[in-house]
Amino acid sequence: MSETSPQPRIISGETGWYETDLPRVIRPYRSHPLRTLAAISLVLAMASLLGISSAYLVIEREQPLDAVTIGPWHAYPKAGTAEADPYSVAIYTRGAVIPLASGEGLALVAREDSAGHLLDPTCVYRIAGQTPSARLWTLTAVDGRGDLVETLSGRVHVVSQNLLRAPDGTFEITAATAPHSGNWLPLAAEASASDGLRFVLRLYDAPVTTGAALDGVSMPVIERTGCP
Amino acid sequence: MTLSPRFTLTVGILATLCLAAIIHILVVLSIPRNVQHSAYDNIASYGTDRQFNLLPDVKPGQEVLPDLDPAMKHAACRFQLDDGPVLFDASIPVSFWSIGLFNAAGEAVYSLNNRTAGAERLSMLVLTTQQLSILRENPPENLEDLIVIETPEPISGFALLRAYVPHASRAEEVDGALQAARCGTI
Repeated sequence: MSETSPQPRIISGETGWYETDLPRVIRPYRSHPLRTLAAISLVLAMASLLGISSAYLVIEREQPLDAVTIGPWHAYPKAGTAEADPYSVAIYTRGAVIPLASGEGLALVAREDSAGHLLDPTCVYRIAGQTPSARLWTLTAVDGRGDLVETLSGRVHVVSQNLLRAPDGTFEITAATAPHSGNWLPLAAEASASDGLRFVLRLYDAPVTTGAALDGVSMPVIERTGCP
Repeated sequence: MTLSPRFTLTVGILATLCLAAIIHILVVLSIPRNVQHSAYDNIASYGTDRQFNLLPDVKPGQEVLPDLDPAMKHAACRFQLDDGPVLFDASIPVSFWSIGLFNAAGEAVYSLNNRTAGAERLSMLVLTTQQLSILRENPPENLEDLIVIETPEPISGFALLRAYVPHASRAEEVDGALQAARCGTI
């Protein structure tokens, strides 16, 4: 029909402004309450999802932010004190963890070996070198959640006082499921790679309980010597 | 006028990110206040307050509190300074022991080990500034020998005593020493 054919545009009166073929910027805005509501709810839902899941991930990783790192070892000297950052406060209170206070000692955790690979409880590791000076230290193997695990010998740790050492004071510990000669740190008897592994080195009565004193101290290296 | 779809999308994404950051911060800050079982609560299940309660040995599958050293034996004592000053007194015959004082939020307030204690015997008095000034008017004769820890506020908290067990044959001796440790009034 002739009425439907394109006509020269004549804007007459107010209704003409609602023509859809006007350029977008000068087209009048008519709000759609439902669309606005949908947009706001989408923003709210996405923001809650992002905010809560990112908080959960950071807390669940159980790695406080202000770590002091020496090779594969991490220490959190400020966690569990009044100066702790909000993340480590959340992590420590959620886990009901009682930290080693600075007058007692310092705990260092390794989640990776010196080459940067995640520790695997089915592998064999060589932990060698020396620790910062401490009156006593213990090395414990725990799983990825920080829990102790059953081992073949029933022992889950080695103590500095019972170590065999080289004449120059360095030591070499073999961490493995099966018994080894020398210093043996037993790992989980029945473990799969997904269980995870952490080494926890606790230095008792050590001068290096503050972060600054940890710069330049020598820590043992962790080398993977074999995997099944 | 109408906003272009691209502009609307950008504003939407920015709003989402800002809101997500705010929610993230709120969640992290609210966790400590909403924790069901703090270390302070957990310790209450091992005995009454104001006395050292021996915690079971740290063994796989039966850990009483997370992150304790299996080479050590532990005893814990909950206290509230509102009920009066707390005196810690222990004599543990091993090469290493240490005590940490924590408030109800689990923050370390004070800590020492057997070398920094300066004596074989642990004698430590924890009290508020106000309680100390009252005590000074009529001091007990051994006040000079005590390690006095003054807190500005009457805190609630707990003390964790760790004792190194050099050998399994010494375990009973250490158990006895930890059970004999005192945590109570002067």
